[in-house]
Amino acid sequence: MIERTITVVPEDGLHARPASQVVEAANSYESKVTVGPAGSDGVDAASMLAVTGLGVGPGDEVDITADGPDEEAAIDDLEEILTTPEHGDNGEEQ
Amino acid sequence: MAHHDHKPLTTDLIDLDHEPETKPEAIEQLLDLAVDAGRVNDREQALTDLHAREKEATTGVGMGIGIPHAKSSAVEAPTIAFTRSSEGIDFDAMDDEPATLIFMLLVPAAGGEEHLQMLSSLSRSLMHEETRTALQKAESPERVESIILEAVEQ
Repeated sequence: MIERTITVVPEDGLHARPASQVVEAANSYESKVTVGPAGSDGVDAASMLAVTGLGVGPGDEVDITADGPDEEAAIDDLEEILTTPEHGDNGEEQ
Repeated sequence: MAHHDHKPLTTDLIDLDHEPETKPEAIEQLLDLAVDAGRVNDREQALTDLHAREKEATTGVGMGIGIPHAKSSAVEAPTIAFTRSSEGIDFDAMDDEPATLIFMLLVPAAGGEEHLQMLSSLSRSLMHEETRTALQKAESPERVESIILEAVEQ
């Protein structure tokens, strides 16, 4: 299992588009992927309801974990989503 | 949590008698409840804001739940509306599970991050199967009101 602590960058936090990207990514790997506030137990990142329930906002620290045959790729993917400013069409990305 | 004159949910915002058949119909129906309850001053604007959010990412969060929501200048006070579908309707959820429990969350544009707190409290509560079952089985708007208010106040 790999675990990383990262700071959430997208303006929406773990809501809306970034949340759906996380869930989509988590569903595309064989590994079990979790996300949660730093220092506490994470939830299944493949569940939109669970991820929405976290209430994670921009600037929050989260722990992400991946456990399985493709854990390296899974955690890299998740980290990239959570640390990349949103590419909205409103030009608001940093 | 901020104080308001109104609870976010009252029994007139709960419709157990009319089952929507599609996602757009569910959104229209729930918005009508909020408009009729005097919580939305510009229906068209609220609908535009709801659809904009939906376009960004579906609010079909899986496990049979849809939570269309928006922060909108057309909204007077934080509002929750609720309806059900016994057969379930396609809500574009990633788990492909049809939505049987459908909530609408509306908050004023000046509402800060309050709507996200309401959304996450509700989502956490709906992770529990007993909450979902209780809402599916509730026979009166009063019962639904107490289950949901308890969920969002946690």
